[in-house]
Amino acid sequence: MGRLSILAEGLSKHVVTEKYPYEPVEVPEGFRGKPRIDPSRCVGCGACVNACPPNALSIADEGGYRVLKLFIGRCIFCGRCEEVCPFQAIKLSKEFELAATDVGDLTQEVRLVMAKCAVCGEPYATLREVRKVAEALPDGLRALAYVCPRCRELMTSHYAGFARR
Amino acid sequence: MRRASEYDLKLLLKSLGAEEVSEPHEGALLVRVNWRRLPGLIQGLLREVGLEGVRHSTCVGIDARPLNSSFKVLHILALDAARKYLIIEVEARRDRASVPSITPLMPAANWAEREAMDLLGIRFEGHPEPYRLILPDDWPEGIYPLRKDFPYNRKLSQLLKGSGRLSNEPRSFSANYLVRQEEGWVKYAAVPFGPYHPALHEPEYFEVLVEGERVIDARYRGFFVHRGMEKLAESRMTVNQIPFLAERICGICGYTHACAYCQAVEAAAGIDVPERALYIRSILLEIERLHSHLLWFGVAYHVLGFDTGFMAMWRIREDVMRVAEALTGNRKTYGMNLVGGVRRDIDVKKAALVLRMLDRVEREFKEFYSHTLAMGEVVERVKGVGVLTREDAAKLGAVGPHARASGLSIDVRVDHPYAAYGFVDVNVAVQDSCDVLARIVVRYEEVLESIRLIREFLTNMPEGELMAEDVEIPPLRVGVGATEAPRGEDVHVVVTSGGNKVYRWRPRAPSYMNLATVPTMLRGERLANVPIIIASIDPCFSCTDHVLVVDARTGAKRVLRLGALLKRG
Repeated sequence: MGRLSILAEGLSKHVVTEKYPYEPVEVPEGFRGKPRIDPSRCVGCGACVNACPPNALSIADEGGYRVLKLFIGRCIFCGRCEEVCPFQAIKLSKEFELAATDVGDLTQEVRLVMAKCAVCGEPYATLREVRKVAEALPDGLRALAYVCPRCRELMTSHYAGFARR
Repeated sequence: MRRASEYDLKLLLKSLGAEEVSEPHEGALLVRVNWRRLPGLIQGLLREVGLEGVRHSTCVGIDARPLNSSFKVLHILALDAARKYLIIEVEARRDRASVPSITPLMPAANWAEREAMDLLGIRFEGHPEPYRLILPDDWPEGIYPLRKDFPYNRKLSQLLKGSGRLSNEPRSFSANYLVRQEEGWVKYAAVPFGPYHPALHEPEYFEVLVEGERVIDARYRGFFVHRGMEKLAESRMTVNQIPFLAERICGICGYTHACAYCQAVEAAAGIDVPERALYIRSILLEIERLHSHLLWFGVAYHVLGFDTGFMAMWRIREDVMRVAEALTGNRKTYGMNLVGGVRRDIDVKKAALVLRMLDRVEREFKEFYSHTLAMGEVVERVKGVGVLTREDAAKLGAVGPHARASGLSIDVRVDHPYAAYGFVDVNVAVQDSCDVLARIVVRYEEVLESIRLIREFLTNMPEGELMAEDVEIPPLRVGVGATEAPRGEDVHVVVTSGGNKVYRWRPRAPSYMNLATVPTMLRGERLANVPIIIASIDPCFSCTDHVLVVDARTGAKRVLRLGALLKRG
């Protein structure tokens, strides 16, 4: 009996497999696919780099630029970067077809100009980040945003009347 | 049988020689004991609660030398009746880094002790089989990858440069074995089963000794796919990155690992997870069990040569996968957990999606299952095959559906409630026939129970936050997190460290316990039944092998040390 019922059931079922890759496959809302950085929004704060479990994101300062690199080859599509980004600059897309013949197709780079310290002249953070911080500071302290953390420490400790170092 | 809950556990443990008994978190007791008193304590415990009253869950070796201590061993024992995990902390003898082995008393400790022996160089005095389990045969002596002075980002060849080279030779395969039987030395043919399972497509290696069609003995050698996860997590990952690594321990039931890890950290740090998050975790865990069991049905049918059943099961399962994708953003790696809660909500629209899926799956699965049971050629293949008696199941520490099919009523969801399982009644499916058929029936009932549970969770889910606020993790606290994975009890032990890191993370997947029962089940069976018997425990080889840095050059083909085999003969 069992075999006959299975035959009957088999005949009543339609084809359930899809014609992919000859036909596209729909993925649902909220699908976690290939991440993309919006270079116009990124300030180079590095929050995503800290959160990224597989080190798919990395950040380095080279020649007056802060370079954020995303390597999809390491990405696990967890979406932590999207979650922690304060400026919604990195988002996961619905894209999941990632095969590439050139490894360069799997990387995205964002180069951001760095601000130079008003005191010592060393680059210390991206210009965008510095401006965001300056905007958030009250008038009297705004100038401090344009000074690197080292010089800032020396300045503030000087104001306080003793050198902490 | 006297039950542990009737005793004042703390008093009992003190009377058995414990130096200090404390409660690090709910559901756990931390017992400090001197190494001299350890065997006495275990013996006393077994005497008081019996072999079925206490299970050896895992053993964690810790290199505590950077903390001004010696090596430490934590034995995690589950007292199911008392709803407690005992964490028995033993400091190794400082002069020789050794502790007494408890394997002679609790055979289930065998592998876990050997793992600590391989990876940390802790010696277990009196261990009956002190052979390598995890490290490849040609790994040099005296190099222990989980010690804190072993760098995580160097290759073995770099470490050995100048100081020596691979000291042990890989063994070669031999087609015959001499085994001592009552009538003297007998030569048996060895049938290699592996290094890839024919149906599960995972690396494993069983050496099956046969006499004609009859299986005389079998030995398992696995751990071919170590990924160095513990080392990686302890060396370079932060507390909230590890859930994503933990999820990748298993390619089928990864979410349960992420949950167990998060629970361990939450327990260690005393974090209160919002109730809604607990419900969401439970819903996803049951969805995972649903798809995992359906996958297993497919694989089991395939192994039996019943490919129509395989196709049908996977067709039904696909529905579950799609819903999981809609809920979490991915079919399999849900990525929903962080320490302190979950990352996405299940809103009304998504809940409706789940409920519709449950109706379809329930109807189709029930229908197909009844067809299958009406087929003599399926039932006869599994009835009375691969028997694991209740005594053996308890002795070897079988867990999950495998243990329940041997008559042991153990289920972490009931015995050590976690996530939202404390808010519902879970019916535990138990069968007494101890064979492959029993394992099929148990899993069938569990599928239906999962469907019922998901409906209940969706109805009762309270409103509220998804994530605990202000999560702070104090250093050097210990936490045990356990979940009932589709394959059985999944235990994660975490020792926290400062600076958002973990000092020690030790996951133990359920197949770790169940694989040890395979040789027992195979003995006396016919060779043709070997694949379905191995598949019947729903083994997950890669989960078991979560740990090590493996030298890719090693083709450790020959596994069994003849001495070990002769001893068993």
